[in-house]
Amino acid sequence: MTMTESPPSEAAESSAAPLPAVGGLYDWLTTSDHKAIGRIWLRFGALSLLFFSVIGVLISFERLDADAIDVFGGVNSYFQMWSLYRFGIVLMVAIPLFVGLATVITPMQVGSTNIAFPRAALAAAWGYVLGSLITVISVLSGGGWGALDGVSGDEADAIRLTLLGTGMVMVSIILGTICVVTTVVSLRTSGMGLTKVPLFAWSMLVAGSVWVLTLPVAIANIAILYIDLSGGAGLFVGAPNPSFDVYAQLAWILDQPAVYAAAVPVLGVAGSIIPVVAKGRQVSHEAMMILIGLAGLLAIGGWSQPFFGDERDTLVYIAFGVAALVPVLASLGGNGATLIAGEAPVGIPPAHMIGALGSMLLFLAATAAGALRVIDPLDLIGTTADTGVLNLVAVAAILGALGGWWFWAPKTDGRLFSGIQGLGAMTFLLLGGVLLGATDVIAGFVDTPDVLLASADDSLGDAMIVLSMIGSIVVLLGVLGALGAISLAYVKPGEADDDPWGGHTLEWATATPPPVGNFAEPPARVRSEAPLLDETPGDEGGES
Amino acid sequence: MFTTGFKFFFGLTIALAIGAVAYGYSTGGEHVGPVTLGWKGGVGDHVGYLVLIGGAFASACFAGIIVAFRDADPAAQSHYMGVEAIAPTTPVTGSFWPVVGAFGGAAMVLGLVLGPAVFVLGLVICSLVAIEWTMDAWADRATGDAEANKALRDRIMAPFEIPVAGALGVAVMALAASRIFLNATKLGAVVWAGLIAVAIFGLGILYAARPKMNKNVIAGLVLAVGVAVIAGGIVTAVDGQRDFEHHSEHHGDDHGEEHGEDHSEEGEASE
Repeated sequence: MTMTESPPSEAAESSAAPLPAVGGLYDWLTTSDHKAIGRIWLRFGALSLLFFSVIGVLISFERLDADAIDVFGGVNSYFQMWSLYRFGIVLMVAIPLFVGLATVITPMQVGSTNIAFPRAALAAAWGYVLGSLITVISVLSGGGWGALDGVSGDEADAIRLTLLGTGMVMVSIILGTICVVTTVVSLRTSGMGLTKVPLFAWSMLVAGSVWVLTLPVAIANIAILYIDLSGGAGLFVGAPNPSFDVYAQLAWILDQPAVYAAAVPVLGVAGSIIPVVAKGRQVSHEAMMILIGLAGLLAIGGWSQPFFGDERDTLVYIAFGVAALVPVLASLGGNGATLIAGEAPVGIPPAHMIGALGSMLLFLAATAAGALRVIDPLDLIGTTADTGVLNLVAVAAILGALGGWWFWAPKTDGRLFSGIQGLGAMTFLLLGGVLLGATDVIAGFVDTPDVLLASADDSLGDAMIVLSMIGSIVVLLGVLGALGAISLAYVKPGEADDDPWGGHTLEWATATPPPVGNFAEPPARVRSEAPLLDETPGDEGGES
Repeated sequence: MFTTGFKFFFGLTIALAIGAVAYGYSTGGEHVGPVTLGWKGGVGDHVGYLVLIGGAFASACFAGIIVAFRDADPAAQSHYMGVEAIAPTTPVTGSFWPVVGAFGGAAMVLGLVLGPAVFVLGLVICSLVAIEWTMDAWADRATGDAEANKALRDRIMAPFEIPVAGALGVAVMALAASRIFLNATKLGAVVWAGLIAVAIFGLGILYAARPKMNKNVIAGLVLAVGVAVIAGGIVTAVDGQRDFEHHSEHHGDDHGEEHGEDHSEEGEASE
């Protein structure tokens, strides 16, 4: 691992020739350019998104009628795919998309020539790819996170492989995140104090810190499970046959408050996009930073592990559940105020704005559902409300990441993605996310059980399951639309200016596509959180 | 004063230590046990706590070493070298080692389930990657001249890399060739051995006769022969060995030396 990184000013003085441009398999395997590394995360994340969206549709289809429909060939296979979807959509799609976006964008946002520890970032990207493949293949080979009806022999090996593959993905996320976080902390350009960091970079610093704090706890869980399964001690699982306990021991990472951490960068994406759309500064940059920090703080979840001791009826858990709503709601209000105070053009909104606002609305819906879920008399824990919250968070994160990708496409891919196709895809994702998540939450009110293939004992529950399936199909259509638009942009690349949106932060001061090293010359000393507005000719005061 | 590497490991130390304490309490830690390493109370789940606190200590050691030795800190180096100007630094160059390391990690993960041989292979790969990566990281910052850095790195590492790579290459080729011989008939094995020997000898003659031949052509020919032998080895290993005649039963073990030919065949078969 490269242990030091030159500050931008020193790197700019380097007498060495610039690194070669990225292209071809050799460069994909050896590159040290953060943009190419980020693209590895983004592209494999996009493929994973498609895969897990299909799995999601199949799962919701089987839920329609557990007795008549058997998509996966038995209750055990259903459980394997159900748990694969849940772990995959968070750990192999939502978080990696943000890590990829951050790997490309945050170094440019803070005025750095590269990411910190670029070789570690490359190892993390490929580790994520390999870890995801190991996890998925092991599940398809009969593994998974335990089993409902007990397993033995080769299936037990496959389960251990699933656990180790999941651990590898987590380690890769931690490594990639450390590179991003270190970049934001250590490689900021001259004059950019932490309070002047762009909101997306700040949100990645917050979310990344929460991931780095939380995922090692999950890795420790995996280590315990692996040793337990291998040694047959049966301390925490029903050895010799691993049972549902394997999933139960790791499920806290898919439950509130920990799962909220996957969507914290949504606040940063929206905070970066909305002022640009509004053509004005964020109403209160510092307040938004505090809100994002608070959202991150309330998403720390390693302490809440129901398997070891159910804290879900304690005051702390309830307080975390209710309080998580506050920063998201306030952040949405802050962005709304920025839109009103600015000069946003009237007409069809750009795709990235729908992505930004839609993801915030879904995240708000998730935290609202979470706040209801912790209220004990409602008795929602253990019902489909669990899945509802998870899906709302996951689709919020995916929509936010895609909105960010659309916005920063000139810098990530060197071209613009289709606005119309993007608008359609984002709208589908927003509507599908609402249908998919909210219906499961409503079904929870009539005690529709989670996990098991039991039918709801209520017509409302049945109706909600049907709507949930329609939601999963709409989400899949949105994903297909988004990935189709990205693919088309490579077939028919659109012309992209260096700054097509009138951006405020340093990534828009680079060329499109950005050269290796990002900046032809070191950026001028930063004086505010929106340095490009400060550079407006004749405006020395820093206010546009 | 504090390098990026120090900040990285220091931050990791703090994160792991907090994670250990949080994990300790969340898994049944009592009193101040998780804070005092179990001195005044239980630490909760021992395995997870140990993993996290061990990681914290390891990271703290790395952080201390980095800050103590000012590793690759241009300002500090300039200070100790007694020069005013900060040595120019070079961008991090591309490298295969990160992706090789990722594959090594994957091999270790697979090996934990599939068997110790795969795990050890992954461990060896990761160990090699650690050494190479460290040297690359150092060499990138050695001087301000990228060419000089590469030459410096090669001067140190080539005496190790070339013999190790050569030995590995010979071992792989020998293994692959032996699989081909064991799969073929007796006559076929002789023919194959002759062909491989002729190919190697031919390449040697070609290079001796045309020392100024385009190196890409030579590399291509060597690669083609190597890939052919390795591919043949893999195919024949999967196909299995030929049936061997066993003549040694009516001779006692104490007479083995008199029938070396038969035993050598059995030895090959058991490879």
